[in-house]
Amino acid sequence: MKAKRFNQFLTALAVIMILSMLLSACTPATKTNPESDPTAPKQEQSTGKARMTEQGTPRNETLIVDALDGRITNPKQFNPYIPGTAYSEGFHQVCMANLYEIDGTKGDMIPIIAAKPAEALNADFTKWKITLRSGLAWSDGQEFSAEDVAWTLTMLSTNKDLPAYGFWNPLIKSAKATDKVTVEIEMNKPYPRIETLVGDQIFDSPFHVLAKHIWSKENPATFAAATPTCIGPYKLKDVDANGMWTLWEKRADWQKAAYGASMGEPKPKYILFKFYGPEEKRVLAGAAHDLDVFMDITPDSWDVLRKKNEYAKAWFDQFPYANMDDPCERGISFNTSKAPFDKLEVRWALALATDIQSVSMATFGGKMRFSPIQVPPLSGLQPLYHFALEDWLKNLQLADGYKPFDGEHSAKLVKSLAGEKGLPTDPKAQKELFGVGWWKHDPNQAAKLLQSVGFKKGSDGKWLTPDGKPWKITINAPANFEVQSGRLAFAVADSWKKFGIDATAQAMEGGPFWTAEGNGDFEAGSYWPGCGVQPDVYNQVQGWHKKYVVPTGQTAPGNRQRYKSDRISNLIDQLSPLKPTDPKIVPLVNELNKAFVEEMPWIPMFGTSKFVPTDTYYWTGFPNSKDPYFGPWWWWSNFPFILHKLQPTGKM
Amino acid sequence: MRFLVFLGSRILTFLMVVWIGITTAFFVPRFAPSNPVEAVLARLDSQKSFQPEQIQAMRESLMELFGLKGTLLQQYGSFLKRVLVSGDFGPSLTVYPTPVSTLVARALPWSLGLLFCSTIIAWVLGNSIGLIAGYWKDRTISRILEGTAILLYPIPYYILALALIILFAYVFPIFPFSFSAQGQPFEWAFIKSVIRGSFLPALSMVTVGLGWWVISMKALASNIMEEEYVYFARLKGVSDGGIMRGYVLRNALLPQVTMLALQLGGMFSGALLTEYLFGYPGVGTLIAQAVLGSDYNMILGTISFSIIAVAGATLIIDLAYPFLDPRIRYR
Repeated sequence: MKAKRFNQFLTALAVIMILSMLLSACTPATKTNPESDPTAPKQEQSTGKARMTEQGTPRNETLIVDALDGRITNPKQFNPYIPGTAYSEGFHQVCMANLYEIDGTKGDMIPIIAAKPAEALNADFTKWKITLRSGLAWSDGQEFSAEDVAWTLTMLSTNKDLPAYGFWNPLIKSAKATDKVTVEIEMNKPYPRIETLVGDQIFDSPFHVLAKHIWSKENPATFAAATPTCIGPYKLKDVDANGMWTLWEKRADWQKAAYGASMGEPKPKYILFKFYGPEEKRVLAGAAHDLDVFMDITPDSWDVLRKKNEYAKAWFDQFPYANMDDPCERGISFNTSKAPFDKLEVRWALALATDIQSVSMATFGGKMRFSPIQVPPLSGLQPLYHFALEDWLKNLQLADGYKPFDGEHSAKLVKSLAGEKGLPTDPKAQKELFGVGWWKHDPNQAAKLLQSVGFKKGSDGKWLTPDGKPWKITINAPANFEVQSGRLAFAVADSWKKFGIDATAQAMEGGPFWTAEGNGDFEAGSYWPGCGVQPDVYNQVQGWHKKYVVPTGQTAPGNRQRYKSDRISNLIDQLSPLKPTDPKIVPLVNELNKAFVEEMPWIPMFGTSKFVPTDTYYWTGFPNSKDPYFGPWWWWSNFPFILHKLQPTGKM
Repeated sequence: MRFLVFLGSRILTFLMVVWIGITTAFFVPRFAPSNPVEAVLARLDSQKSFQPEQIQAMRESLMELFGLKGTLLQQYGSFLKRVLVSGDFGPSLTVYPTPVSTLVARALPWSLGLLFCSTIIAWVLGNSIGLIAGYWKDRTISRILEGTAILLYPIPYYILALALIILFAYVFPIFPFSFSAQGQPFEWAFIKSVIRGSFLPALSMVTVGLGWWVISMKALASNIMEEEYVYFARLKGVSDGGIMRGYVLRNALLPQVTMLALQLGGMFSGALLTEYLFGYPGVGTLIAQAVLGSDYNMILGTISFSIIAVAGATLIIDLAYPFLDPRIRYR
């Protein structure tokens, strides 16, 4: 009896312990009041003293940014030209700067260190003049000049110990400074897109100017540059020896820094890039106002954060919340050199077998934009490409006369999301938000296409290949990164399984995932070979040229889908010599879009949706759907576009 | 003489185990479906800032830079020569050109500090509690202690760690979200920040480890209590304390010491989950990064330490056992 009572007591104790732990996890956000934070130094309410960060800076003067690269293994390495240097913990955002930067919303190249667009000195684009801004200085006070640019280009093209030498050497014939603000570059071959060579298009530029007065005394192939010399508006203040955070301080002479000179003073005095660990901890930190700017989180985490923190803001105030203008596109790629993916009918059949509505809901709860063409459906590109081709898409016929396009997908999605507030009712607005449309979900037509090339259905309802074997497809999916693509793979596999294909998704870590694509050691994968931010997508699409096709087993420099198309290659060749502003660009890219649709070497599905929220407790002024002055690409090198727009809220 | 033969054979076994382990660590990653050059290039390519020709040119340069040219046997030969002659594992391939030894030297003290303290605390506490529970197994206190251990033991580490973070860094913000050492090493600010930052990870590891030691020691102690020599000691009038220390503990401790030695040897592998969840700088993260980035040199450097430590711990236990248990002789 005594033992029984004791066991009951133990059971009750265990239940109480578990419940209390669960309850504490579910407790509404305490909206941590800095004044009551027992870990903060005691502050007098009446003096209005600010809460301090652990790094010793006033919290209300510090912008805390999520660290994309995670913990940095060697936090004292700031050489941009050796592998292993972490870029996204502030180094390329606020310390370095590019000659030109992309405006992610409009697609324009904006001179940053340069003073104006590059000028071609001859008709074949082998000689260029770049005029730099005057009055710029490095963070150590030394004057920035054309000598730094010319020296860096020359060094890159002559230093054989650098990994990038193999690229720059064949390209650069000479680079010289003709005066303090003018650089003349001679190329070994025509290069009409010099601004994208020495400037940034997506994420960052391959070219970073180095301070000649520092680097000419060192070996650039091994010099770690533990204290970087910055041309950007911030300089390194402190770094965690264990790589968990990097602290940058606004330069006193910010007017002489890149961005500062052209855009004005960035507001945060300090910028702290900090790694909190798993997504759960980042959300907790955001709920406690210890993180202002988030890198990518899942829609589920966003739901938790917005409920715990009333100051948390996403791109849209309501559904779909996410920004859908990330310049890459998600879908399913194939190794088209492997049967049966070498057959057009099979690729089209797989597109028509995909229930794209279910895939959208399963991947990101419908918070994605449909895209049937290979150019990402950015707000700035849709009018030129997606909507411009709408009639063509509607009238597109396959070989048997079948019309595969369904322009009503956005309307259908909105209807299925009837419970969500703020969704557009106007069909045009629906398409602008959720895309121009996609392919019909038509298993019957898909079956017809498969049967036309010898596929049969077995007695169990599953598809058999022309040689009578069960048709199995494995879709490579990224594990633990690029969540959207990872989930997409599983959702598509599920859709194809319902169609009768034995399809599975295989989650892979980064190394094997990319190596498999490079070597062609895959049949299908949730890769993203379609990117672009400007109307001129040449830099992103050139990799599809047939000249890059190599046999499976060899690492492909480009065209990892191993797709040989004379039509696509010819169009790329026609794009190659054109300047980015040439009026022929858009019509040629549309011809490319048509070729990609008709030949379907890969199945584009959605634009990329990014949940990259901000906490507006300490800082406001972040771009959003109501004030889309820039894209929320905090990890790109053009992050300073946002810094000068931020305002402190005054909260302590 | 017998001892010398025993010592010689154990040392030879130790060296063979280390050699086989390091050789396996050398070859296995090279058969994996990724390599460090592709890992670096993939990261660059995913940014869509580089053109195909640039990627191709960098591939050639990186193969040369990373020392991946030549046959596997040639690479193995140069590796052995470098390691045996100068103890140099080469540069990390993901954090090129930082030497592997620099990175390991930076991370290892943190792993050793955290794991050593938490392992010893869990071992001492767990065995003490287990001994009491086993000695007075029919008493209420024993049941409470055993029940608590059984309750804690099966909790998945990830859940426990997150619960501690939620409770003590968010709901009651006593500790920081992530570990961060402030100030210069060995100054008071540094020591304070290390203790504060390490408390939660240590608590999580002690909590998880405690359960196993309590349960195992309780089982051992309960069994030993049934031995005739314990009855004899009681009949002789030896006190409870004397029986517990001299008869039960001494006999129950032997397998626990073996397990402790092996756990201490395992410190050199770090604690990946702990480091990831608490933002703690340690060897576990280095190993994970090395594996994910196919960083051959770092894999070898970190795993070699672990192999040597575990093999060394086994060797030490083998040599020390006869001192702990006079019944055991060298053979």
